[in-house]
Amino acid sequence: MSRVIALCFLLLAAVIGFLHIDSRPVWTPFATNTVAVAEAELEVPVSSKSKNQIVPSKVSIPSPISTWLPETAAPSVHAASLIALSDGAIRAFWFAGSREGAADVVINSAVFDPKLSHWSAPTVVMDRVSAEKGLSRYIAKLGNPVPARMADGRLQLFFVTVSIGGWAGSSISSVISDDEGLTWGNPQRLIGSPLINLSTLVKSPAIAFADGRLGLPAYHEWIGRFGEFLRLDAGQVIDKRRMSSGRGAIQPLVFVNDAQDATAYFRQTRRSGQVKQVPVSQTLNAGQSWQSDADLPIANPNSAVAGLWLNSGARILALNNIEAGRYRLVLMMADAKSSQWQVIEVIEDDEALSEQRKEFSYPYLISADGNDAHLVYTWDRKKIRHRYFSGAWLKRAQSQLDTPPVNVISQEAK
Amino acid sequence: MNHLMQIFALVELSITCAVVITLLLQKTSSQEFSLMTKVILILLLSNLFFWPLGLGMELPLAAYVRGVIGDLSIVTMLLLWTSLLSGSKPAPLAFKVSVACIAIVFYPLALGFGMIDPYAWGYGSILFFITVLLFAVVCGLANWSKGVWMIAIAILAWAAHWHESANLWDYLLDPFLAIWALMAVFGVFYKRRRDKARAGYLFRSG
Repeated sequence: MSRVIALCFLLLAAVIGFLHIDSRPVWTPFATNTVAVAEAELEVPVSSKSKNQIVPSKVSIPSPISTWLPETAAPSVHAASLIALSDGAIRAFWFAGSREGAADVVINSAVFDPKLSHWSAPTVVMDRVSAEKGLSRYIAKLGNPVPARMADGRLQLFFVTVSIGGWAGSSISSVISDDEGLTWGNPQRLIGSPLINLSTLVKSPAIAFADGRLGLPAYHEWIGRFGEFLRLDAGQVIDKRRMSSGRGAIQPLVFVNDAQDATAYFRQTRRSGQVKQVPVSQTLNAGQSWQSDADLPIANPNSAVAGLWLNSGARILALNNIEAGRYRLVLMMADAKSSQWQVIEVIEDDEALSEQRKEFSYPYLISADGNDAHLVYTWDRKKIRHRYFSGAWLKRAQSQLDTPPVNVISQEAK
Repeated sequence: MNHLMQIFALVELSITCAVVITLLLQKTSSQEFSLMTKVILILLLSNLFFWPLGLGMELPLAAYVRGVIGDLSIVTMLLLWTSLLSGSKPAPLAFKVSVACIAIVFYPLALGFGMIDPYAWGYGSILFFITVLLFAVVCGLANWSKGVWMIAIAILAWAAHWHESANLWDYLLDPFLAIWALMAVFGVFYKRRRDKARAGYLFRSG
C-alpha cells in the first residue's frame, strides 16, 4: 500500500516537473545591432582642396586620452571593468585591497565624466562581510567584477567569491541596481557547477539574447580549465553550454557575428611546450553548441583578452601579444572583411630588464556609442589605467589597415 | 523571496548538522537513544547552528558550514534525516551501486572531461527527467518506497526552485552522497572478499 501511495506521489511530482520543463524559456538567438559598414564614413576626412587626391586632411583627430582610476589607498588593485551609463558617463568597477585575495579586498566603483575627463570619488559596492551576509554563507575573498545591462535597463554586477581555497574555488554571485549603480540589492548566487558549486568564474562582458536574457561567458579553472556559456534569467542560471574542454582555455571573450554565429577568444592556459596562442571556439546556433576552431595566430602569455565590435564593422582587441610576461599591451584591429589582426597602438611596452618589468594586464573594453572605445587595465597591480580612443581615431586606424603593416603583429607566435 | 530562500537553506543545514552530530553521538554510545533524546538533541544542536552566536563570528555556524559544503541535495538531506528514525530501512545496495556508478561517470564529465556535459541536462532535458522518473519507479518496484518519496520530493523542490540552483542534478546528487555510495560499495566488496577469504581458510584442505 505504501508503495502505491509513493508511486502516486511520484506521478504528481512528474506532472509538476513536466509543467516546469514546459514553462522554461526556449533558447533564443543573440540580440544583434545592425552594423552598417558605411564605406564613406571609413575614409579619413579629406581636405576640400584636394578633390582628386585622397590626402589626409589637417582636421585634427585627438590622440587617445589617458587617465587613472581614482586611488583608494589600497596597495593592490586588479580586474577593472566598465559599463556605459544612460547619461553618457562610464562607470568602472575594480577590486582593491592589501593584496589580491586578502580579506580586506572590496569592489570599488567610480564614474567617468567624458566631458570633463574626470573620475568621481570611488565608492564601495561590495565588501566581504556584506557579501557573506547577503549570501548567508562564509566568504573569504572577492574578485572579478563584471557589469551588464539587463533588458529592463537595470544594471547587474557579477563578481566572484571564494569561501575556501584559491581562485579555483570561486563561485559567481550577482547584485542588481535600479539606479545606475548608486545602490545595489542583495547578492544572489549563480549555481554553475555540481561539485559544491566550486570553480565558476567570470571575466568578460555578458551578451544579450533576443528575448532580453543575458548570456554570460564563464570559465572553470579547477581540475578542468575550460569555458562555459551561462544563460541567465536575472540572478539564476537557467541553462549552460560548454565552450571548450580540457585544461587549456579560460576567460572566454565572445564576439557576436550575427543572430546565430559567434566566436569566442580565450586566454590560453596550456602546458609548457604547447602553442601559446589565442584559443578559439565557434558557435553557429546562438551558443547552444560550441566547436573548437584553429587558434588565432596571436601570441598569448596566459593572460586575459578584451575586445569589441565597432559600428564600422571593425573588431578591436586589447591583449598582451607576447608569449611570456605581461609587459607589453597592445590594441589590435581587424577589418570586417578580413580576419587579419594588426596592431594599431602599443599601449604599454616596458623595455626594462625582465625582473623589473611592470605588468599590464586584465584589459576590459567597452564602447559608449559604438564608435569609440574605453579601455581599462591593471597597471602593475598598483593602479588602474583608463584609455579613451575616440571614434574618429579608430576610424582613421581602420582606414589605414590596408596599408602594409609596419609594426604589425611584431611579436606574434611563430 | 531570495531572503526566504537563504533562511530556509540555513534551517535545512542547521538540522542536517544536528542530525550528523546526533548520529555520531549515537555511534559512540553503547545505548540506543530514545526518540525523545534524539528530538531534544536535534532541537538544541540545530538552534546552536542556526542562530548567530557572536563570539567574534560574523555569521551563524551553519553559514560557515554552508560556505564550505554549499547546499546539500534533497536526497542526501532526506537520507540523513530519516536515518535517525528507528526502524528506518537502510538504502538497498543496488541504490548505492547505482549512485556510485552514476557519480563515477558524471563528475569527470561535468568537470570538463570532454565536450559532453551531463550537468547541463539537469536544466530541463525531458530525456533526463524521464530517466530520473524511471529510476524512481525502479526503486518502487524494488520495494524501496523511501527512494520513490525522496526522488519525488527532490523533483518538487526543483520545480519550486527551493534552492538557489535551477538544475535537477543539484537536488538529486551531491559529492557527499557520491562519496557515501562509493564507500558503501567498496565496504561491501571488501567485506565479501574478507568473508570469502575466511571461509576459504576454514575449509581449506589440510
